[in-house]
Amino acid sequence: MTDAATPGHWFERDPDWFKKAVFYEIHLRGFFDGNDDGSGDFRGLADKLDYLQWLGVDCLWLLPYYPSPLRDGGYDIADFYSIHPDYGSVEDFQYFVDQAHQRGMRVIADLVMNHTSADHPWFQASRSDPQGPYGDWYVWGDDDTRWSEARIIFLDTEPSNWTWDPLRGQYYWHSFFSHQPDLNYDNPEVQEQMLGVNLAETHEFLKRVRAETDARYSDRVLLAEANQWPADVVAYFGEGDGDECHMAFHFPVMPRMFMAVRREDALPMIEILESTPPIPENAQWGLFLRNHDELTLEMVTDEERDYMYEEYAKDPRMKLNLGIRRRLASLLDNGRDEIQLMHGMLFSLPGSPVLYYGDEIGMGDNIFLGDRDGVRTPMQWTGDRNGGFSRADFQQLYLPPLMDPVYGFQAVNVEAQLRQPNSLLRWIHRLIALRKEHPVFGLGTYEALRPDNPRIFAHVRTYEDDIVLCVHNLARSAQAVELDLSRWEGHVPEEMFGRTRFPRIGELPYLLTLAPRGFFWFQLRKDESE
Amino acid sequence: MTDPRPLIDFITSQRWFGSKTRDVANAQIVDCATLQDGLELQLVEIRFDTGTHETYQLVTSGDDLDALDDAKQVRELLHLMRSNAKVPCADGVVQFAAAEGFPGSGHELRSARVMQAEQSNTSIVFDNELILKVFRRVEAGVNPELELLRFLTARNFENIAQLSGWYEYAGRQMDATLGILQRFVADGEDGWERALATMDDGAERFLDSLRRLGAVTGRMHAALGSDATDPAFCPEETSAESLGLLTATVDEEIESIFLDLPDGNPDLDPIRGRGEEVRERLRLLTNLGGAGRVIRHHGDFHLGQTLWAGDDWVILDFEGEPARSLPERRRKRSPLRDVAGMLRSFAYAASASSLLRGTEPPDAWEARARAEFLDGYRETVDPHLVPTGASMDKLLTVFELEKAVYELRYELNHRPDWVKIPVAGMVRMLEDEVPV
Repeated sequence: MTDAATPGHWFERDPDWFKKAVFYEIHLRGFFDGNDDGSGDFRGLADKLDYLQWLGVDCLWLLPYYPSPLRDGGYDIADFYSIHPDYGSVEDFQYFVDQAHQRGMRVIADLVMNHTSADHPWFQASRSDPQGPYGDWYVWGDDDTRWSEARIIFLDTEPSNWTWDPLRGQYYWHSFFSHQPDLNYDNPEVQEQMLGVNLAETHEFLKRVRAETDARYSDRVLLAEANQWPADVVAYFGEGDGDECHMAFHFPVMPRMFMAVRREDALPMIEILESTPPIPENAQWGLFLRNHDELTLEMVTDEERDYMYEEYAKDPRMKLNLGIRRRLASLLDNGRDEIQLMHGMLFSLPGSPVLYYGDEIGMGDNIFLGDRDGVRTPMQWTGDRNGGFSRADFQQLYLPPLMDPVYGFQAVNVEAQLRQPNSLLRWIHRLIALRKEHPVFGLGTYEALRPDNPRIFAHVRTYEDDIVLCVHNLARSAQAVELDLSRWEGHVPEEMFGRTRFPRIGELPYLLTLAPRGFFWFQLRKDESE
Repeated sequence: MTDPRPLIDFITSQRWFGSKTRDVANAQIVDCATLQDGLELQLVEIRFDTGTHETYQLVTSGDDLDALDDAKQVRELLHLMRSNAKVPCADGVVQFAAAEGFPGSGHELRSARVMQAEQSNTSIVFDNELILKVFRRVEAGVNPELELLRFLTARNFENIAQLSGWYEYAGRQMDATLGILQRFVADGEDGWERALATMDDGAERFLDSLRRLGAVTGRMHAALGSDATDPAFCPEETSAESLGLLTATVDEEIESIFLDLPDGNPDLDPIRGRGEEVRERLRLLTNLGGAGRVIRHHGDFHLGQTLWAGDDWVILDFEGEPARSLPERRRKRSPLRDVAGMLRSFAYAASASSLLRGTEPPDAWEARARAEFLDGYRETVDPHLVPTGASMDKLLTVFELEKAVYELRYELNHRPDWVKIPVAGMVRMLEDEVPV
């Protein structure tokens, strides 16, 4: 019996694996169509694992793939125990996981604990029979005034977090869309049920989930998506004890990276990292540039938000809720230097980077599609029909692939970029390989340097004997910077991509010049000639 | 709980123990079958400090942890095969099986000797008639050797040592192949040895026989790609980006090896500073219409895996590269990888002759060997499996280049005297015309 779900069978045991890993987020529907029906599926994804293995990513993150009316991209789950028929069968899923494990890649899956789809049988039972077994599984109220201080997330579509249900004659609570009623975690039965599914919300409950997970499996990871300030998110790690989630996304750092690049000023990044509290030894931040949602601007000030809209969402169609629904390449006006700089900074920060499918080739978006579909268009594999995504008729595709002259599949695709040694894809591949050669990026300490030149974002990562100096030029123009490296006097900086040795560090400030939007990573080596 | 130390000491000191550089934390018998009174088959899990494990097969007799060198004991394995015995274990079952036409039923086998050359397995020859290969490192899944021998036998491919039997384990831990029994090719002469032995006398006859080897290889691939109904074997189209993946992989290997090229070895001079030229050549070579199909294949194909049995070739050892994981060895790839492996092996034979034996190979020996082998191969291979015309030559050269880069890295680290072999290969690829 080969148990594909047992990581011990495929992987070195390593409790720190997720700190050193590079994650890759996949929109299953948009990745590859294995059965020619116009929609991506597990068989198709399995066909592309050789590519992902080559790319060097360690862990695949799948968006929800459960049965769902798909009114929120699958985040509205109607059954936690099976697979949406568009994506294949449970066997197809098993086959995919097996194949991923064989290639040394782990899989994490989105599991929405907060709510279900309104179509879920639990909710339907809760509506129709308030006294029945599911009567108390959701949050019901006779009026819509409770918790009025809670924010509304989908501002564009939802006037309130309460919606009237004429059948039951009560209001129900929903943090997100009105078709996604929140589960009632005060009900112990709900806790039991969701623990059976996998995991959940309140901290007491998370501690239980973590304890159960650790007891049952080794090397499993719980990753929290809590779009809040770092000081608040830290609670999801279980404060000092580290007994809740292993990882949590760091939301606020991301818009500040975009701000820093546009303003040519390192300050927004330095400040947000300074105000990020320490996290438990066994925990890690998840970092990303873009994902399947809008670039969220909830965790910025009003002033900063205006600035971001001004700079990055010139067309009102680009805005969604409190954010900007665009992909990385188009946010950066397809600037190769800017895209590389952003990845360089992302990969150098303390945390594990999460890439979003298609960004490694610089895919664009389609702001004329509704909701967040504009950033969920088909992966562009080749310059052939449908971008090599599907052999179905064009009309059958779940969304049209990009076909514009700049970002369309004829200009931007995996096949062509694999063959071009200087393509973005090949560069990202090298970046991933480099990061994985140096555990310091995942495990090391972080210390910002504060050079006089505010256009330079420079910091030092240290893990055991491995010292890495990262210097990024945020400006559109070439810059010189003097860095105080006197602590490392006698060390020799070795540039990490080309392994060129730079002059030895002495007592005086260390002078570096950087190309526009250029960056250097150096390993500081003890000078052996002494 | 018994002291695991003796078990650890025994296993870690064996030649077939593959992880000598790693720290072993524990050893534990995870399942065990009594084959007969006093003879046990044990599956031992070796656990490393890092938490991973490997499983090894022992056949023990009392305190003797290796009963395979005892002719009387080891014959019992054959008896069990002959009777298709099913031996229960604590957590599973060991199934013995005889292949069709299981030999040796009429007479008792007398002698049994352990082959000395084996690295990762233990092979025992009975009366120069049969050879039993006992897999020491046990991995979940069917071993490709058993899988391919059965498949090729069923398709009447005769250039193999006939499969006579096997035994396997099915249990809670895993399903795995434990050993296989084949006919021993007593009068066979190792292809590598034969190449070297005939360099100063009889080279012509040997070269002629390579056409035959090419033809046998082509028929082997045709047979392996002949069943569209068996999912483990049916030929598959390559994906749209597979050629791109190959290009990118080889290109980066070239880039990195040229970055690492050490100073001071004059044997490297012919390629020094020519990294960009090699990469440029790769771009020209990968500019082709298609990559053909991918099929199950030999996986570790070179002269040392062949025997000349008087009038024809026998292909041996379908295990694949032992350093790779079992799922990786079972993956379908282009059959031209086997061909490239054999062509590189000719280059090694020519140089080994002068390096090891002091015999200069006859003029143009390697070129002749290549031409003979490829002519034979083209005659018999199923044209649907490989790209057509010049594309086949180009793809083949890409695989050869990939191997030469790998060889260069290996030789730089292990045998600097030998770097001239991959260097000469790379120079030849640079100087040859790109097929059009």
